[in-house]
Amino acid sequence: MRIMTLEYEELEFIIMKVKEVSGFDFSGYARPSLLRRASGYLVKHAMDLSELTSHIELGGNSVYDFIQELTVNYSEMFRDAEFFIKLRSEVFSYLESYPTIRLWVAGCASGEEAYSLAILLKETGLYDRSLIYATDLSQRVLASARQGVFSLGNMRTFSENYLLSEGKKSLSDYYHVAYNQAVMIPDLRKNIVFSLHDLTGDGVFNEFQMVSCRNVMIYFNLEQRQKVFKLLYESLAMFGFLCLGKRETLRYSGFEENFRIINMHLNIYQKIK
Amino acid sequence: MIQKHDDSVSLVLLGGSSGSFSIFEEILKLLDRPLQCSIVFVLHRGKSSLSELPQLFRSYTQLQMEEPQHLDPIVKNCIYFAVPDYHLLIGPDGRFYLDNDEKDFFSRPSIDATFVSAAQSGLNIKAALLFSGASEDGAFGMKLIAEKGFKTYVQNPLTAEVARMPAAAIRQYSKHHILNENFFEEIRSILYSYST
Ligand SMILES: C[S@@+](CC[C@H](N)C(=O)[O-])C[C@H]1O[C@@H](n2cnc3c(N)ncnc32)[C@H](O)[C@@H]1O
Repeated sequence: MRIMTLEYEELEFIIMKVKEVSGFDFSGYARPSLLRRASGYLVKHAMDLSELTSHIELGGNSVYDFIQELTVNYSEMFRDAEFFIKLRSEVFSYLESYPTIRLWVAGCASGEEAYSLAILLKETGLYDRSLIYATDLSQRVLASARQGVFSLGNMRTFSENYLLSEGKKSLSDYYHVAYNQAVMIPDLRKNIVFSLHDLTGDGVFNEFQMVSCRNVMIYFNLEQRQKVFKLLYESLAMFGFLCLGKRETLRYSGFEENFRIINMHLNIYQKIK
Repeated sequence: MIQKHDDSVSLVLLGGSSGSFSIFEEILKLLDRPLQCSIVFVLHRGKSSLSELPQLFRSYTQLQMEEPQHLDPIVKNCIYFAVPDYHLLIGPDGRFYLDNDEKDFFSRPSIDATFVSAAQSGLNIKAALLFSGASEDGAFGMKLIAEKGFKTYVQNPLTAEVARMPAAAIRQYSKHHILNENFFEEIRSILYSYST
């Protein structure tokens, strides 16, 4: 049960403290969600505001843990199975015409989405000429993404998603089990580059035929979101594809006119100007 | 930093779970004239529930019904329904925020997520109402809203199809107004009252 709720003024204070101690800047993040998560953090750790403040001031792992809990890292392989079906039929058929295909997974968490794309590219025969850049701002999730290790429990959900997405084999063909964990086969890792990139601070670093930024935009406030849309827009080649999460549209992005809708429900867009 | 909201926004929040669907239908049928407020319904729904409530309820009222998208501004005289698989948060800037954070009480949307965010938003809450349901979701949000001085109404657990949700709200805060049998007239007057 919740016993503690923060007020917005207190949240601003925490944001300032975190920035002071760690350099990490939450000021571009949507306040209502941050407030909810920060309040949840207090409840979970039975802290009040002053205890949280001292906790943050400890720096190091303490503040890092807090930042980690405020940025949601939850992900799944083949999350929203239908999205992957449409990707294969509407986007990959178009990408086929490129000699090399560069894809960017922005906000990749522990690599679930990048591995899913690798599998899909493999099954459509495009993997060998593809390069997937998968980025996130959290070193911790990137380290785990590079290892490509997932719990067997999660793998069961991912396998169901894979089948729903009309995968051609069995997901277990893409990993082996060691010490009760699933390890993705090295062949899938071959053309994936995992690296650190902060969508709120870092700039364009390549030109892509497809950018997938799913379940990330929802964390930014209106102004920050527009800036991130600009970054994604500038990172896309002309006629490149932009994929957003379920319920994430181009509304209020400032770039509504620059894309055409490939799929309205799954939020797949193509850059047209 | 914190944007000031549109002072004219005034919210009526309704939460319910099992046993509330038909109550919500009846409430919609009451809405035969333009409203000064904005109504937000949070009904527990399964993740893959595809039915769009505005479509489903179209025959009940002429008023505009929406499933709000992320960052949509809250508009007067509009009826909103929380979409499945996201919490519907209300921001101090008078906009809706979708959030796919953890579930509350095994529910997303959760009633508490919406009610607590509304209580903290600084926006005016004309009334918050809680109905039948099998979980304790909503009780905390109702208490917070009542403590901020806004009006709160809870269905009498004895007449609710499933008593647990209204009972939990009353247990956590005993001073909610209780809605007894034949409460639809009372709800109509709440929705159409001019006081804030
Ligand atoms: C909910 S996960 C989404 C993972 C995956 N794209 C999916 O849809 O399943 C959001 C990720 O965005 C990352 N993120 C949050 N803010 C970011 C920023 N400013 N720059 C880069 N990544 C960020 C988080 O660390 C987290 O791993």
